[in-house]
Amino acid sequence: MLRRQLLTGGLLVGLVLAAPLSAHHGWTGGETIELEGTITATRLGNPHGEVVLDVDGDDWTIEVGQPWRNERAGLAEGDLHEGVELRVSGEHAGEQLLKAEQLWIGEQHYVLYPGRI
Amino acid sequence: MEGWLNQLAGTALAEWVQVSRWGYAGINTLHVLGIALLFGSIAALDLRLLGACRHLSLLAVARLLQPLAIAGLLLALASGSLLFLADPGGYAATPLFLVKLGVIVLAIANAVALNLAPGLARASSRRLRSAALASLLLWLAALIAGRMLAFV
Repeated sequence: MLRRQLLTGGLLVGLVLAAPLSAHHGWTGGETIELEGTITATRLGNPHGEVVLDVDGDDWTIEVGQPWRNERAGLAEGDLHEGVELRVSGEHAGEQLLKAEQLWIGEQHYVLYPGRI
Repeated sequence: MEGWLNQLAGTALAEWVQVSRWGYAGINTLHVLGIALLFGSIAALDLRLLGACRHLSLLAVARLLQPLAIAGLLLALASGSLLFLADPGGYAATPLFLVKLGVIVLAIANAVALNLAPGLARASSRRLRSAALASLLLWLAALIAGRMLAFV
């Protein structure tokens, strides 16, 4: 009987410990930074798009929105294209990884996450 | 391999998965439903095999839970294949995704092996227990690996 309870208890503890890790998808609480560079590669689509930005010779991965979010921000197809000069502000989420909250192409301002700026 | 993945990403179905807002959300929902059915029923069956609720007939419990687990697995596999289409090259290049697939193969092999020979009705209780423990750990590992894919 005790063994059964230990087993069930252990399983529950494992599940509970695993839960907070998955409770919040995406934002990691990193500081907000701004980068400027040239797009060298783009992959747009679900679950979110990614562009590679050459920032003074360093390759940064910039996570942008999923298609509907990019569209809502006013980004048209082809705006995030190789060769485009991009200024982007967002969360510093990894060594050379930025989760974009807003970005600028020329004078045009695009807000992906209005609730976060 | 890479050419094949690119070809896959260029199909009409893949393009729909890549851009559809509610289609993608719906596929995600079906994937969660499949996992819920699979893990929920397999955890209950494994606990019975490990010795919980011995007053419930093993064969009756299995008759209810195994088809549910199989249905959940098939739903998760089908919806998971669609989710994979969103970024075939990216997933194939993610080590954790390959680990997840490997763990799923092991978990399925564990279940199939137990059912083929000796079968639930004839297996020794030691065999049932070791298979159930392996099943619990493998499916839990697959679930954790899958969820963590969104965070690595």
